[in-house]
Amino acid sequence: MSPTTRREFLQATGLGAAGVATGGALLAATRGEALPNPKVDTALGATDGHMILPNRPGDAPVYIFGFVPVPFSASVSTLTNTYKGKAQTPAPILAFRQDTDISLRLTNLGLVGRPDLADSHTVHWHGFRTPPALTDGVPEVSVAVPLQRQFTYFYRPHDAGTYMYHCHFEDVEHVQMGMQGIVLVRPSMGDRFAYNHASTAFDREFAILIDEIWTAPHDNGEQIQETIWTDYDPDYWTLNGRVYPQTLLPNDDPSLPNQPISSLVQCNAGDKVLLRLANLGYEQHALQLPGIGMKVIGQDATLLRNALSGADLSYRTNTLYIGPGEARDVLFTAPAYSSDRPGGTGSRGPYNTYLFKNRDAKKLTNAGGAGLGGMATEVRVHQNALPAQTTPNETYA
Amino acid sequence: MSSRRPRALLLIALIAGACALGGAGTAVAAPTGMVCQNGTSFDLTARSGYVETPDGNSVFMWGYARTGGAFQMPGPVLCVNEGDTVTVTLHNALAEPVSIVFPGQRPVSTGGGDPGLLARQAPPGGQVQYSFTADRPGTYLYESGTDPAKQVEMGLAGVLVVRPSGHPDWAYGSADTEFSPQREYLIMMSEIDPDLHNAVETGATYDITKLHNRYFTINGRSFPDTIQDNGVPWLPAQPYGALVRVKPYDATSNPRPALIRMVNAGLLNHPFHPHGNHLRMIAQDGRRFLTPSGGDASSEHFGETVPAGSTTDMLFSWTDQDKYSPTNPLPVTIPGYNNLAFKDGDTWYSGSPYLGYKGTLPATVRSQNVCGEHYFPWHSHALNEFTNFDAGFGGLATLLRVDPPAGCMAVPASTKIVTGSLKGGTYASLATDDSPATYYEVNSTTVAPRRTEWYAGFTGVPAGFQNLKVSYKGRSSSSCTQTVAIWRWATSAWVQLDTRAVGASDVSIANLSPPAPQSDFRGTGASAGQVRVRIACSGPAVSFSSSGTSMNLVYDAP
Repeated sequence: MSPTTRREFLQATGLGAAGVATGGALLAATRGEALPNPKVDTALGATDGHMILPNRPGDAPVYIFGFVPVPFSASVSTLTNTYKGKAQTPAPILAFRQDTDISLRLTNLGLVGRPDLADSHTVHWHGFRTPPALTDGVPEVSVAVPLQRQFTYFYRPHDAGTYMYHCHFEDVEHVQMGMQGIVLVRPSMGDRFAYNHASTAFDREFAILIDEIWTAPHDNGEQIQETIWTDYDPDYWTLNGRVYPQTLLPNDDPSLPNQPISSLVQCNAGDKVLLRLANLGYEQHALQLPGIGMKVIGQDATLLRNALSGADLSYRTNTLYIGPGEARDVLFTAPAYSSDRPGGTGSRGPYNTYLFKNRDAKKLTNAGGAGLGGMATEVRVHQNALPAQTTPNETYA
Repeated sequence: MSSRRPRALLLIALIAGACALGGAGTAVAAPTGMVCQNGTSFDLTARSGYVETPDGNSVFMWGYARTGGAFQMPGPVLCVNEGDTVTVTLHNALAEPVSIVFPGQRPVSTGGGDPGLLARQAPPGGQVQYSFTADRPGTYLYESGTDPAKQVEMGLAGVLVVRPSGHPDWAYGSADTEFSPQREYLIMMSEIDPDLHNAVETGATYDITKLHNRYFTINGRSFPDTIQDNGVPWLPAQPYGALVRVKPYDATSNPRPALIRMVNAGLLNHPFHPHGNHLRMIAQDGRRFLTPSGGDASSEHFGETVPAGSTTDMLFSWTDQDKYSPTNPLPVTIPGYNNLAFKDGDTWYSGSPYLGYKGTLPATVRSQNVCGEHYFPWHSHALNEFTNFDAGFGGLATLLRVDPPAGCMAVPASTKIVTGSLKGGTYASLATDDSPATYYEVNSTTVAPRRTEWYAGFTGVPAGFQNLKVSYKGRSSSSCTQTVAIWRWATSAWVQLDTRAVGASDVSIANLSPPAPQSDFRGTGASAGQVRVRIACSGPAVSFSSSGTSMNLVYDAP
């Protein structure tokens, strides 16, 4: 996927920050007149591809299933010719405004690596409140999208927050194979708030999907072998489908063509930084950000403030536990830059480095290789001013 | 990726086909919902038995059973009231000492038995007695305190429920924990390593460090067995179902939430993901979430990791917030069924996106849907636990069933004219009270006594339905005396439900309720599921026509 495609996709899905930066007048007028948000059309293809992980035997890429952003109005054959075999993982970050009518069209493009398979796919918006069964995307209680067919899911989200989406067809396999992403809903209060509450204002946001990779079923799948899923035994631990130090590479780095989403957190001192964390692995994780206190302001697309009593349920922690299928919204204020602190320098000048990492050292390795790897990334507090953020997870070369 | 068809799904009987008979020796009150053993004095026996898994395996277990009753997994749900003095006598039919500990209850006094590490224990063939005052409402675990690395894994665990004094419909001692007593559910999670259980059964070496779980259970069953009714005869040792049923929230007719009592009796933390709506977590380990000043500190979760050995209490309701329906449709085109996939030829989907409506499914797909209810899975999001050994869509999972708010609705599937002749329309004209109205119209006979008589046939009414009601709206070109009647299959006779004069304006007759037993009005055998409603009109001195614009049945599904 080309960088332009990804950026266009984020903007096409109604990504709020971009709207504020480039079309704020239009949006303000829309809200002022209490008009409904313009409806949004977005589309994904479901197909296969490969991801790259270090310390693999023979440097073999890892076979994946995944979603790929595609144009909304295109024929199945055109989409197939253009996008089949080009899955990315994780799937694109989807961003919508609360109370928007969303049509999400899924096209099952088929698999280049397994032409013998005719797996169906679905989109399950994980955490969506009170959907009809049909649009919840669970094949056994609704429908699935067969090979070379399209289905348009419809959503009207009423509740801001950080959600996930993933395929629910043979879910234990398709989720592990890479068919997963983050979807976030912006509150009516504004695009720089996590929820409809002033305390959730932020300057920069980073959506980070937490996962494990058990390479055995990926290899089995590519080699037409079956997997016993109760043998689950991952060997890589990822943030946005990358392991450290891949996590530090910018968005759309050419060395990782199918893992386009960076987990590098670049910010300035005093910035309010929102981490939108979602776990679609099968393990509970303990995440730490030594040197910076984390304030958990939301979980499971819900403001941590009791709706009945008004009690503030947000909390500060040095170690954040997050179980499979759970989401957390973490806010921190970036500390001042200090030349005494660990850091480095790049094209944007000097920065301090803080490590956002798993507490469990077994998950800080790449298949047992030497040195830091796995579920870790860096928060870089830059001395020089960075531009205002226009998309989530924006990186600056 | 697998092309194999999971065997589990083939074993499912129609949900609607299950009955409320209950397992041997158990007093099962309702097909779904938590099954309490009420009282203050309980007599249990630790014994061995077997549980069934959906992939056809049979696993050796130890469990707490009612003394004199059959082996069961998990142990009986002991339901007591706050302040009760509770006595539990434990008999031991196993070959090694056993005991019970009651986390959250103290002090526990004991009598008889032998000294043990955590509690006095019953020797093989012997007994021990425990007694405590249940002084705090909540949901609690009880489990073996003897060699727990073996005995808890083998299944020696159960649930204790303490209800607040004077308020059986509150979870805790305040009105904001009120729930619907008809919607109280238990979800007790655990895991099974069949190899370790086999080692115990055969006397081989038991090494807990070799633990490798293959089955993940709710209330001792693995999905899809979890959605079978309480006490179904084909799961004799696993009497407790876990299907969660609700109707949409309504401020007047259905204001109370369901209560979901979650217990993790296993050795692993389980991340539980409810589809359909968030769970509101109000308490953990029998303690409410409150602010220091006593305010509500409950929180909402679409995924919540229940720690091993812990309990959490959740309130749940489902609000039909956008009320999509045929007249407020989803603004997208839904492909025909021939362009969709139905997994394994088996579905809980109704064929329609709208609550309370059924649509067309391929003839090759077996539908488990009764009358347009929605289903959502509730499952472990450690998806390796959402399996039965090597097959997906199993294990630690159940379904949420959201029933239509007004019950199931049926519209005519056919019409037959007994007296008179067709003027216009079809049975489909009777499906909705549409605007402009479409009518099914019948001309009267043309010589005195002039009369129209026709009936509509309904199909698919499930056995065990309740609260059947008939509604009809129609008119007559000349004022006639109209009767509405329903066919009593049991006696082959029409039973009149209403009579009145009807003229040129539509008259709506709503919610006519046939007399008990209503099961007489549902066909059986070759006519299984059929209901017939007759409209007859007579009286005018001139020829006339009778016209119906809507007719339907509403009933509660079993």
